[in-house]
Amino acid sequence: MNYNTSQFKNGLKLMLEGNPCSIVNNEIVKPGKGQAFNRVKFKDLITGKTLEKTFKSGESLEAADVMELEMQYLYSDGEKWHFMDPASFEQFDLGMESMGEAVNYLVEQDSCIVTLWNNNPISVTPPNHVILEVTDTDPGLKGDTAGTGGKPATLNTGVVVQVPLFVSIGDKVKVDTRTNEYSGRA
Amino acid sequence: MSNVKKHLSDYQDFTRIIREFFYTRQVTEVVTPSLLEAPTTDVYIDSIEVSVNQAISKPSKLYLHTSPELEMKRLLAKGSGDIFQMCQVYRDNEYGRINSNEFTMLEFYRIEFNIHQLMDEITELLAALGSNATVKKLSYSQVFFEYSDIDILNSDMSDLKKIANKLGLSSDYDWIEDIQMLLFVHLIEPKLKEIPVCFIYDFPNQQAALAEIHGPIAHRFEMYLSGTEVANGYQEIQSAQDYRDRFNTELNKRKDLSKPFEFLDNSFLEDLEEGIPKCSGVAIGIERLYSSLSL
Repeated sequence: MNYNTSQFKNGLKLMLEGNPCSIVNNEIVKPGKGQAFNRVKFKDLITGKTLEKTFKSGESLEAADVMELEMQYLYSDGEKWHFMDPASFEQFDLGMESMGEAVNYLVEQDSCIVTLWNNNPISVTPPNHVILEVTDTDPGLKGDTAGTGGKPATLNTGVVVQVPLFVSIGDKVKVDTRTNEYSGRA
Repeated sequence: MSNVKKHLSDYQDFTRIIREFFYTRQVTEVVTPSLLEAPTTDVYIDSIEVSVNQAISKPSKLYLHTSPELEMKRLLAKGSGDIFQMCQVYRDNEYGRINSNEFTMLEFYRIEFNIHQLMDEITELLAALGSNATVKKLSYSQVFFEYSDIDILNSDMSDLKKIANKLGLSSDYDWIEDIQMLLFVHLIEPKLKEIPVCFIYDFPNQQAALAEIHGPIAHRFEMYLSGTEVANGYQEIQSAQDYRDRFNTELNKRKDLSKPFEFLDNSFLEDLEEGIPKCSGVAIGIERLYSSLSL
């Protein structure tokens, strides 16, 4: 199946240079004395890179068979990360290189979005906020409850996040996965 | 004051400044017909057709003007001197964030001006409207050297196709001017977003439209405001024969693209028997100008 430029819109998944891509921005440019073009920004769903291409109106691209499914993270065996579609109980696994930043935020049983291309998983997006446990941090100053300063804390996934001084080992904290920032006590 | 009233009054102030700018310079305001007997010949501009006089048994087809250019040139040929017009124009098959089937155009002609004098006058108009941004002026060839490594005037069709392929773009174009425009839209225009006011002048002669040609270049310019094309001007060709040749070039391209091509505006060519005086003229998109100035 193909889509032509008049059907282009943000979020549409298309094949470009052999990789599935998602349209991030679609700008119609009609020079006063020329034909109309679409100047399109794409995100390559495999490499994460941004590409910019210009098409004359009427050109078409092949649709990419891409699905985003909510799945449950089951476990990691050290090489592969295993997920399950709770609707079909079908299981999928991804290697470290496809996991990206998601490895920093997922603990077993968590829900996340797994992107499938031709039914193969290509990337994982954690929820915007996750709750993780502090496994290591320096003791805070007594009486500091205002959170004026900050210190690094290692969480149960291994990721390190700046936290307020009053946070101590064993505390549960809320982390924004898009910015890797502490956003409160859980 | 209500929001609507405020908007109307702001827009009135804006058009008043434009009109007074021309009145002070003895440029006469004109009104020309917007229902025409022939559609435009421009290959990539489509006229909107209207059927009239069905109920009185005199059915005929007319076309909404896509620009007041030819009707104003009739006046120039008859000795009008400097003229301007601000009017609604209509184009079929236009769609997008900054394109629509109807928009407002300011068009003016200045006798004895070359394009550089006309660009200077537009800069003065921008200043009158309150814009004091620095103006950048680059030739079409310079802008390609500045933002790419393409020698646009000395690249033939196969050179440009190779460049397009290398950029991962389609090179399926029949005319060199179309692939020049593809590369302009892809490589150059995004860079112009950083420049508040940019004039680009002396286009490759394949993009002459109705502008005077001297060797490889046509004395034509466009004005970009933060990357958006807002004005298009020419040092105008003068003789009926030149107009006939340029119209025929466009009509032949329309034929190749299976677009309507059978209309040549003979009554215009007859009115131009003695040609138009040496002059430069420009069309400015008023909504685009207004929105870029009120940002």
